[in-house]
Amino acid sequence: MTLCRHRFAWMLLVPLCALALSARAQATPLVVEAALDIEVVEPLLEAFRSAHPEIDLEFHDRSTLTVDALVSEADPAPDVVISSAMPWQMARVNEGYAQRLDSPAARNWPDWAKWRNEVFGFTFEPIVMAYRLDLSKQMMPPQTHADLHTLLTTEASHLQGKVTTYSPLKSGVGLSLFQQDARYTPRFWDLVAGMGRVNASLEANTRAMLQGLSDGRYWLGYNLLGSYAMVWAQEHPEVIVQVPQDYSLVMMRMAFIHRDAPHPKAAAAFVNFLLGREGQRVLAGQTPLFSVRPDIVGPYTAARLRDQVGDRLYPIPLNASLLAFVDPQRRDAFLARWRREFERSRPAANEQVFIQDSD
Amino acid sequence: MIEVAGSLKRRLAVWLLLTVTGLGALLMIEAWSSTHRAAERAFDSQLEAAALTIAEAVQWQGGEPLVEIPAAALQILATRHQERVFYAVLDADGQPVSTNMPFTIKPEWRAQVADAPWTLTTAFDDTSWRLYGREYDSAGWVSQEPVQVWVGHTRAGRQALGDELFERTLSRFLAMVLLAGVLMAMALRVALGPMRRLRRQLRQRDADDMGPLDARVPEEMRELAQTLDHLFARQRHSREALLRFTADASHQLKTPLAGLKSTSELALKSQDPADWQAALLAVHDGADRTSRLASQLLSLARLRHIGEEGKVTPLDIVAVLRECVLDWAGREVARDHDLGLAELAGGPLWVRADGWAIRELLGNLIDNALRYTPAGSEITLGLSRHGDTVSLYVEDDGPGVPFEARERLLQPFERGGRQDTDGSGLGLAIVDSIARQLGGRLSLSERSPHGLIVTLHLPLIDPPSDHDASRPGEPGATRETPS
Repeated sequence: MTLCRHRFAWMLLVPLCALALSARAQATPLVVEAALDIEVVEPLLEAFRSAHPEIDLEFHDRSTLTVDALVSEADPAPDVVISSAMPWQMARVNEGYAQRLDSPAARNWPDWAKWRNEVFGFTFEPIVMAYRLDLSKQMMPPQTHADLHTLLTTEASHLQGKVTTYSPLKSGVGLSLFQQDARYTPRFWDLVAGMGRVNASLEANTRAMLQGLSDGRYWLGYNLLGSYAMVWAQEHPEVIVQVPQDYSLVMMRMAFIHRDAPHPKAAAAFVNFLLGREGQRVLAGQTPLFSVRPDIVGPYTAARLRDQVGDRLYPIPLNASLLAFVDPQRRDAFLARWRREFERSRPAANEQVFIQDSD
Repeated sequence: MIEVAGSLKRRLAVWLLLTVTGLGALLMIEAWSSTHRAAERAFDSQLEAAALTIAEAVQWQGGEPLVEIPAAALQILATRHQERVFYAVLDADGQPVSTNMPFTIKPEWRAQVADAPWTLTTAFDDTSWRLYGREYDSAGWVSQEPVQVWVGHTRAGRQALGDELFERTLSRFLAMVLLAGVLMAMALRVALGPMRRLRRQLRQRDADDMGPLDARVPEEMRELAQTLDHLFARQRHSREALLRFTADASHQLKTPLAGLKSTSELALKSQDPADWQAALLAVHDGADRTSRLASQLLSLARLRHIGEEGKVTPLDIVAVLRECVLDWAGREVARDHDLGLAELAGGPLWVRADGWAIRELLGNLIDNALRYTPAGSEITLGLSRHGDTVSLYVEDDGPGVPFEARERLLQPFERGGRQDTDGSGLGLAIVDSIARQLGGRLSLSERSPHGLIVTLHLPLIDPPSDHDASRPGEPGATRETPS
């Protein structure tokens, strides 16, 4: 996600690209700049490569901040931009950086998961809580936001330093999630205060939180990306994933074709593949990113998730209201409040949480 | 000749189509602009609402305006057409407090908005945008400076709504036109039904059916039907006249032929050459009369059939008259009569006529006068001019014709009740036909103390520039009498 995985990506991509180039000198290149773990998405990319051998796909996995900067700064511009920082993607589209995709797949895409037929939310990733098995020995694991708040209040001493969540400063996704939380209930701020009370550790990405849980540094994590957490939990039985039972936010990765895409046809083919039956089937079957399409069957589909969790899924609305969350003044005001609430009942801190805002 | 190409239905349809197209085009232009105006108004009010929502969120903190952009305002701005949106909150100096795009709000726009809320359409990023600006006075503890809120969105939704409204209007209009067209076609069919029935009736008529039409027709066509009835009546009369003429002519020819037959039969029974001689003379005279009768019949038939084909040229009637009178005065038949010309007008008088016809006419009139007056009668021919008509008259001091008989004189084979002459009774009929053909009029009047005046009134024309058309006549000054 937000963690840069350039090196890994390059190690994987360079030989692939070299192979592709030597084999098919005529192949159309296609540059995808994405804030999406290449390990997670690899099956999808493989499926695309075999479906479109004439396209030489170059997939760069970067942080949300880098991806956002590349939209306006890269020269030549990337063909396709994918990011989980929904408000930022929205802002870029609103600025006119996207081009309209006119295809059956785009037209048939559900209205709530697209905007202007220019940007498409093609995954359906629930935001979850995760806890270590150890926690359940000490206390009743939380099932709702209220449960979590109660635990943070009543078991503050036990949980001291054992809780982790996103840093709203270091992660665009984390900030978005908190903003969405705050949108639904003012009691969210009590939760932030509770986080402060237990001196929660603020991480920059989900993977770091999961690693901390497995390592035993943390017992409880809040606002993790369900897609990553579920895969992790399969390999690490000590980690339990809990989809909140009162409400669960759902994040979508948003993809758009860059206005100045050097290879618009290849870019359209890629996005059509993402939205098409084939791509979504791969998403549902081989990645934990969850398919949006209701007609796809597999372990990871929005429909199946709804069956399991009920109607408590709240997809972050993909509309113009997202633009409010990138407004600098609003962001600053939000961060100021977050800091205030976090610091309110925090015991004397021995480490500075808000160091510097860095990528 | 009435020139109407194509069918009435088509003419009506073309006119209807032209009218509908013309009016429709105007109507549609008006509809287009009004639907788009309506769409603009609808969307402008969204802009106002969004601006108001943003203005509500402006707060003052430490002398600085602070705004937490409400998400709802952006959704209002985006509308259901998912427009790209722009917002800016400017402080009193025009510096952006908060904005989402590098849109330049020009100083003159700010000045405009300082007075009153303002909407404008402008281009940015190759896209057409609609902007709305409004100034709000805000109350803060430290500062009371106004802030300006600017909002805007792209115009796709306006276009779409305007087009949609317009299309709806257009489709309704087209449906109406179509329906009106169909109804009109049906109405035309019904309305033109009597015309069709009339046509069918006329087509199915027998060639010699001259009876009136038995058609009940609408008011507009009643006149046509009546005219047709009149035409049929006239044709019936003329046909009857023709039949009568033919019967009369046969009858007239039969009498002299019968005389010839009986004379020759008597002569054949006789052995005396003197009888033969007398019979031959009688036969010769009879043949003469018959030949003359036949030639008159021929002229009458010719006149009636000649139509407008005759060669009609400008003609000096004075010269023709003189020439004719001189010719007749020298003939044997005029021996016992005093045939003369009255004093003629100064110059030549031009009429449009055929020389042959005028001579025939004069010949018939003179012949009549000679034939129906006793020997020694005075016959005078003359011309008098009345404005733009000329009257050619022939007067005699014979017994005259009773008033009641005069009208009938113009009918063929009418001798004014006289059986004592060998005339055929065709003379005046021929004269009358010629007069009609020349566009003139014949009148009969009484001469006092006794006698008859036959006057031909002819329209005068301007003298021709080309004098070759006819020989100019010399003005006659005195009454010329035959020697």
